[in-house]
Amino acid sequence: MYKYDAIDQTLVDQRVAQFRDQVARRLDGSLAEEEFRPLRLQNGLYHQRHAYMLRVAIPYGLFSSKQLRTLALISEKYDRGYGHFTTRQNIQYNWVTLEDTPDILAELAKVEMHAIQTSGNCIRNITSDAFAGVAGDEYVDTRPICELLRQWSTLHPEFAHLPRKFKFAVNGAKEDRTVLLCHDVGIELKKSSASELTADIYAGGGMGRTPILGSLIKRDLPWNVLPSYLTALLRVYNRFGRRDNLYKARIKILVKALGPEEFARQVEGEWDHIKNSDDNFTQAEWDRVAQHFTKPAYKALPALSNEQVINLATEVEKAAFARWLERNVKPHQISGYASVILSLKPHGTVAPGDATTAQMYAIADLADHYSFGELRATHEQNLVLADVEQSKLYELWQEAKKQKVSLPNIGLLTDIIACPGGDFCSLANAKSLPIAKAIQERFDDLDYLFDLGDISLNISGCINSCGHHHVGNIGVLGVDKDGEEWYQITLGGEQGNDAAIGKVIGPSFYADEIPDVITNVINTYVAQRNSDEPFIETYRRVGVTPFKDAAYKNAKKNEKVEKVIDGGTA
Amino acid sequence: MSQLNITSHSEIVHFPKDGKPALGQNEWQVWSGSQDEGGLPDLEHGAHKVLVPFTWWLEHHHEADVIVKAKNGQIGVWFAADDDILKHADVIEAGKTVWPLVAAHFPIFRDGRSFSTAALLRGRFAWQGEIRAIGDVLIDQLLQGARVGFDSFALRPDQKLDVALKQFDLYSVTTQNSWRGSRTTRATLSV
Repeated sequence: MYKYDAIDQTLVDQRVAQFRDQVARRLDGSLAEEEFRPLRLQNGLYHQRHAYMLRVAIPYGLFSSKQLRTLALISEKYDRGYGHFTTRQNIQYNWVTLEDTPDILAELAKVEMHAIQTSGNCIRNITSDAFAGVAGDEYVDTRPICELLRQWSTLHPEFAHLPRKFKFAVNGAKEDRTVLLCHDVGIELKKSSASELTADIYAGGGMGRTPILGSLIKRDLPWNVLPSYLTALLRVYNRFGRRDNLYKARIKILVKALGPEEFARQVEGEWDHIKNSDDNFTQAEWDRVAQHFTKPAYKALPALSNEQVINLATEVEKAAFARWLERNVKPHQISGYASVILSLKPHGTVAPGDATTAQMYAIADLADHYSFGELRATHEQNLVLADVEQSKLYELWQEAKKQKVSLPNIGLLTDIIACPGGDFCSLANAKSLPIAKAIQERFDDLDYLFDLGDISLNISGCINSCGHHHVGNIGVLGVDKDGEEWYQITLGGEQGNDAAIGKVIGPSFYADEIPDVITNVINTYVAQRNSDEPFIETYRRVGVTPFKDAAYKNAKKNEKVEKVIDGGTA
Repeated sequence: MSQLNITSHSEIVHFPKDGKPALGQNEWQVWSGSQDEGGLPDLEHGAHKVLVPFTWWLEHHHEADVIVKAKNGQIGVWFAADDDILKHADVIEAGKTVWPLVAAHFPIFRDGRSFSTAALLRGRFAWQGEIRAIGDVLIDQLLQGARVGFDSFALRPDQKLDVALKQFDLYSVTTQNSWRGSRTTRATLSV
């Protein structure tokens, strides 16, 4: 993985010093809270419901066991013994103090980590496929480009105060695992027929109050001109994005208002003036960065069949191990290796994506023993050991069980994406975590979950959609009505290559109704499905009506007519 | 313009491209264009030179006395955050020969449009003269401003100048190009 050079290290060290000074000025009163706020946000520091929350970047999801040990240390020393992995490849601490933050950043800088631009109205942490470099369906290893873009965007002066937050995702595989079209800019990397690395650029996607899928605005952009093209794109947004209304300030609103063709034309017009500038990446820069993303020291191993791997287990464990292999183990580019997903969604968990201090230390050890000391954080809030020898999968599974990160629920109904919700977040209208827990308790039967197959269920505590409810096959959105917490259901959302925004089915429900509503929706699927048909395909075939009817069949409390929050493209 | 904050510190932070940060007296009065019934403030009796709104300049730059005063170094222009300077490229090209100073306005510190204005003035228009940041200019914007193309800063009156002057040497490295120079990450490789 990427190793900081002296320039990177100097920059993060100087950033710590800068933030230390800003905190000191805040504490002595010479910097007002209103004016400190954007500064602390650009360092990932939020003021939450109960305390400060610090969001630390894991650029494109890749990190080392050494870095995870530091993350564990921070959770132990400065927080309450856990950290929360997010959908955008960050880790959050919920209970830090303002006074400690500079010291935490200094700890992070020691292991080449930072919290720069994990929040605020600037270019956020750039996300990518958690399986980059190992995925069987990969066209292009996205990591060198992600790293070059990380550097280009870090402390970019012109785009430090954009109209709103700005999120990039980069994909280079056949299956999109980045929710590419729900980002302000999605970069799809490809190899042309002449083996040139190029990018297709999608702009104007996003979730939140007005979910919109991004539009293709540029094809076959050579990789090296990404900085000048993205500068042009951001400059158009910076100058013309709306600043009068927070809810209409994202680039998706500008792209929609202008139309993707006109937006693309304006970007092109700006780019014409700077496309040959020194901003562009050089081959020497590529070479310097790319040398860090060579393959690890793989052994020459025979590929094992699934049966051979299952036979590693004892007779009594074979069935459970096979389940884990089916759900949590993914194919690899290299013969004899596999990638393993450690589930951070054990049933009855406190919060999807949480890892305790002890788990973090233990998982760091697992990375050292089984995966060249490297880890990945996924969009679905799980962790990945990307390079595991197939012959060691059984051994690893037993170790993972001890840490309670072995539940074979990846991609199943209980692999819930959820934001921290009203338990922590000051923006939330409703709680997310008790809803996730209640659903996991209701659907605790692994045989049944396996039978249901791939279903995504995403929960957001407010319209900001940090839990990505719009792209869940089943989405749950917390809404506030007259001071009470209600939950609105969307169906038909999907991430991946067939990305789709879910539709609101109707009036919202009380929290205690949600497990029944989900049960009714699931029962409808089971009744309607053709053999082996996944939930989303059944939904698309039969339409929303039977699901909607089932969802409301026992509903008693929501008789009063209410305004449905538009989940469409208002 | 929704919000106009153009009061400023009596001292200006100057940071020339190849020089060191230093303080200087503010000789320029920023005129909103709305008071004095739309006519230029009386410069005959004042010690100040005047920065006029670009929109005012668009209307009045054909007037002989305006040109004379500009050429005498008494009139410069300032760009509002929502001025689309690319729409008036011809006026700006012509202005380059007469303006002693241009400024770009920050209606509130977290509005970054004027960063792009400065970048365009330096990059597209090759403006070589001074560009001043005016309006809600705070200490923690100085570094970004200096890198996009500003070389003088009229800070908000409550800002501490000693803290301001220390901002420019916070970083010895950069990872993207700016008006002040090539990114360190490239400079070390391009041998």
